[in-house]
Amino acid sequence: MKKRIVAMVLVGGRGTRLGNITKSTAKPAVTFGGKYRLVDFVLSNLSNSGISTIGLITQYEPYELLSYIEHGSTWDLDVNEGGISFLTPYTSMDGEVWQKGTAHAINQHFRFIDQFNPDFVLILAGDHVYKMDYNGMINKHIKSNADCTIATFKVEGDKSHFGILEMDEGNKITKFIEKPKNASSDLASMGIYVFNKKVLKELLDIVEDGKNDFGKDIIPLALTRNLKVCGYEFSGYFRDVGTIKSLYEANMDLLDNPQLLKIQDYNNFPVFTKSVNLPPHHIVKSNKISNSMISDGCLIYGEIIHSIISSEVIVKEGSIIKDSIIHPKVKIGKNCYIENAIIIKGSVVLANTTLKFTETTVVDNDFLWKTGENNE
Amino acid sequence: MNSNLFVIVDATFKDNLEQLTLHRMPGALPFAGKYRLIDFTLSNIKNSQITNVAIFPYGNYRSLQDHVGSGKKWDLDRRRDGLFILPPKNLYIAPDEMITFQRMYEHIEFFKRSSQDYAVVTSANIVWNIDFYECLDYHLKNDADITEVMYKNIRLKTFIISKKLLIEYIMTYATLEYRTMSELVEKTPNLKVVIYKHQNYTRTITDTFNYLKSNLDMLRFDIGSSIFTPDRPIYSKEKTSPPARYLKNAVIENSMISSGCIVDGTVINSVIARDVTIKEGAIVKNSFIMSNSIIEEKSELNYTILDKQTIVKNNTHIEGTLKHPYVTQKEQLVSSFEDLRVLLVASESYPFIKTGGLADVIGSLSRNLGRQGVDTTVILPLYKKIRDTFFESLKYEFSKTVVYNEIKHKIRVHRYQYKKAKYYFIDNFAFFNYEEVYGYENDADRFAFFNKAVVEMLDDLKPFDLVHVNDWHTALIPILIDNSPHKGLKTLLTIHNIDYQGIANSNVIKKLGITNFVFKSDKINFLEIGINTATKLSTVSPTYKEELKYEYYGKNLTYSLLNREREFYGILNGISSSFNPTEDKAIKTNYSIENFENKIDNKLYLQEKMGLVIDKNKFIIGMVTRIVEQKGFDLILNSFDELLSNNKEIQFVLLGAGDKKYISELEKLAQRHPEQIKLNIGYDATKPNYIYAGADVFLMPSRFEPCGLGQMISLRYGTLPIVRRTGGLNDTVFKYDHITKKGNGFTFNNYDANEMKSTIENAYDLYKTNKKDWNKLIERAMRSDNSLVKSTQKYIEFYNVIVKN
Repeated sequence: MKKRIVAMVLVGGRGTRLGNITKSTAKPAVTFGGKYRLVDFVLSNLSNSGISTIGLITQYEPYELLSYIEHGSTWDLDVNEGGISFLTPYTSMDGEVWQKGTAHAINQHFRFIDQFNPDFVLILAGDHVYKMDYNGMINKHIKSNADCTIATFKVEGDKSHFGILEMDEGNKITKFIEKPKNASSDLASMGIYVFNKKVLKELLDIVEDGKNDFGKDIIPLALTRNLKVCGYEFSGYFRDVGTIKSLYEANMDLLDNPQLLKIQDYNNFPVFTKSVNLPPHHIVKSNKISNSMISDGCLIYGEIIHSIISSEVIVKEGSIIKDSIIHPKVKIGKNCYIENAIIIKGSVVLANTTLKFTETTVVDNDFLWKTGENNE
Repeated sequence: MNSNLFVIVDATFKDNLEQLTLHRMPGALPFAGKYRLIDFTLSNIKNSQITNVAIFPYGNYRSLQDHVGSGKKWDLDRRRDGLFILPPKNLYIAPDEMITFQRMYEHIEFFKRSSQDYAVVTSANIVWNIDFYECLDYHLKNDADITEVMYKNIRLKTFIISKKLLIEYIMTYATLEYRTMSELVEKTPNLKVVIYKHQNYTRTITDTFNYLKSNLDMLRFDIGSSIFTPDRPIYSKEKTSPPARYLKNAVIENSMISSGCIVDGTVINSVIARDVTIKEGAIVKNSFIMSNSIIEEKSELNYTILDKQTIVKNNTHIEGTLKHPYVTQKEQLVSSFEDLRVLLVASESYPFIKTGGLADVIGSLSRNLGRQGVDTTVILPLYKKIRDTFFESLKYEFSKTVVYNEIKHKIRVHRYQYKKAKYYFIDNFAFFNYEEVYGYENDADRFAFFNKAVVEMLDDLKPFDLVHVNDWHTALIPILIDNSPHKGLKTLLTIHNIDYQGIANSNVIKKLGITNFVFKSDKINFLEIGINTATKLSTVSPTYKEELKYEYYGKNLTYSLLNREREFYGILNGISSSFNPTEDKAIKTNYSIENFENKIDNKLYLQEKMGLVIDKNKFIIGMVTRIVEQKGFDLILNSFDELLSNNKEIQFVLLGAGDKKYISELEKLAQRHPEQIKLNIGYDATKPNYIYAGADVFLMPSRFEPCGLGQMISLRYGTLPIVRRTGGLNDTVFKYDHITKKGNGFTFNNYDANEMKSTIENAYDLYKTNKKDWNKLIERAMRSDNSLVKSTQKYIEFYNVIVKN
């Protein structure tokens, strides 16, 4: 069955810089904004763009992610032809094939792409926070008669983590440097690519062994071979939440700058997330709730100030939560004080605990037990 | 799992949810923020692992269909069995108390095809969490034919029955004397019926009071946690809104708040559905707010139900009560109605002129609107009778000329302040200075001229927000407004009596100076023109509104009314607080709900006054009515000989005037039973209260009854009504249910002498054998609230719907 576009979503990353948040789950399954998971953004974007043939390339701790995504019905992606396919590492005649990098992972599953014989391959990551209709980029790609188009955004501040590029007037990319020390431009790659399928196949075939990354290897290779590589400027909100700090900041943007992601404005461009069958949250008694987001199924007796509370969280009397992000099913006992923490799923904070941090700190049960020991 | 149960979900029943169910079925009503009522029953089905389900809806079930979809949420999108929505063959079949066997027969294939041995018949409007298999186990252990599921004293219209037996009843529905499972259980024809009592919180949602109350019940931790249990979750179609956001001024106390809300105001003891915005300074108390509503700055709501997408403008204060919450309509704009300015136009209004019930309604409505803060103006013609009694106190305002039939007529306008309502009287000798109000050859011209004069007067009066016209006499006002500089002014036409339509020669239109009118024949119909041109329509009870969709009731205007179905409402009239057995000077002994045993004095007085045998054990049937065909006299004449011969203890008193044919038949009947029947022919409306107070039951076997006031008065006097379930009778009298001891009277369904007779006998039987239940019924009757305050509040809500949309 021929498809015009096949999307390949890389969801295998561990996200080592997120520390204990990804101790037992893949980065795309990380909770965001109270009721979302990071992967909701890319899947919702695909759904909103009408792209429904999708390969999800997994590797690290896939279980939670797989059971979360299921058939993709949450995003209306459970279609009869195509839909979501999970592409896992496998063993074959050539031995075990673990993914060595982004390009390697795509190459490994090229047979999946080939069966649909698509014109274009869209390459995406599962851990970005943004709302984007990919059709704009694909249309631009077709109009510019490009071989490859890279989505770009303007970086503010430190540019050393990004692939920085320069474009000419026709949006043709003239220079591309992955993670430069001194950046010459503020345009960065979002790690989102559209390739003509044939071009992608060729590039993957000719790239040297051991060169496995799109940013580091494939794009420079395309440039050296004088292929037409274009940039597509994305002007919306975009965050790559690779670190605890950036994850925290992107969450807090929902509270402080709701106009950026416009998550509230979901009629035209919804961000879907799996339903949890919970009743609305119940604020039983509270002295203060301000500048906060609270999700379904919570039971709140304490004060919530400038915080994001995910579903099924219980906060007992006398407790104060400030500048924090509480993941689902966390229980917080009476008279606790919590500031500047990310408390991860299922943690139990006993009564009278104070967790006050100057720098955002991830708290889980292990952490809490340790603190408990220290207190004794 | 091979399930042994299948389920019939009843969504056909009638409710008292007012405008909330105008465009949706009760099952589709939002509940507890993010659910719809039917989610509870469907989730119970899923949690009981039942996979064969039929929903029987009536009328407009789009919102239900939309919500339920393929049933995937409840695992009902099966290859074998699954979810079936089985529509009625007749879309306009009037809703009944619950699903009838006849209705099931329409889809008998479903029942025959079902492979399960037992059926659950249940309802779409129950809030509960139950395992149907526990009911089945109970049914089997007790070797029952039918198991009725109840919670405390609440009947849930839920039954377990074997498929075999159910199909038997469905197949023979036409010959059965019971139409529904409820009636079957009440009459128990040689069946073993057992009651399964469900232990956890359960409510059926039937009116705005228990709708609001059960929503607020979810805020009680013990109740909420018994409904929303992690083991047996309630599933619903999910929207995709983000978590609720609280801004810096939010103050929340004991409230449930759903996803997508933005709260910057105060929310106390309320349930807020999805995507509601509550702005700074707004206070929401004891209310249920449906999705996408916006409550603007400094508004205050107490005991209100806001339907979806209601916008409450800033500084608006809305105050309902738990018993009578203030209810808005979908997409309504609500602002303070202190500035609402309404013009009422009618052919009569008490105390100025009265020939019938219309005058009472207009008089009391104008008074109460004024009292409740609406700027109210009434315009009437200055009839001779008004001139004779009131002319001295009228104040001359202005004169003008009105052109009718190309002739200039001068009118003089007088004013009178009646309590808080402003009355204007239009004085024109040629048209209005007649001895009677109606009954002249030129009635059509007289009222057409009145309509034109009213519209011309709009030039001279401060602008109105709404013109409320009544019956055919004022039904040309909307079309005249459309042809005047006031085009766009909102109008409401209330139909009090569809029997009088104002059929006249079509040249009236020309005389009025309307040029762009499309004639269908050489006659015009005032009421029909009003129906086609008024902004909104209403009639005087919700049931009558439904009935008018049938030709049997709606007659030649059925089609016009069906065309305007979406703009057509039923608002029940009320009775004045002057009907009050505690203070009524016209009755022998005053009594109240605390000491209604004193009512017996009035009974003895009634017997004495009417010349009946004085005996407190006799059973007195009272009637106060116009003696006309509509009021059911054919039924009385056909069955009372037998009734009275078989039951010598029954006495019958009738006060009324009317049709000579019936009066002479009634007199003959009375001669055959001189000891038992006393007639008081010659209607004196001011003194019927000794019957209301003295009789045991009050009979109204009407063939049709748009609203009816007699049953409301008798209820207030603790005289139990026996009525046919039609029109306003059906909205005010609820039949005695011997299982739950509920109800406030006795009802029968068909216009049938035998049905009426056996209903009277059943009532008499209860009176003789069970004084305790009888007294409880009297108490319930006296507690029934059909006050004018309530009906005026409904009108104000409705005016707001019209004006603010």
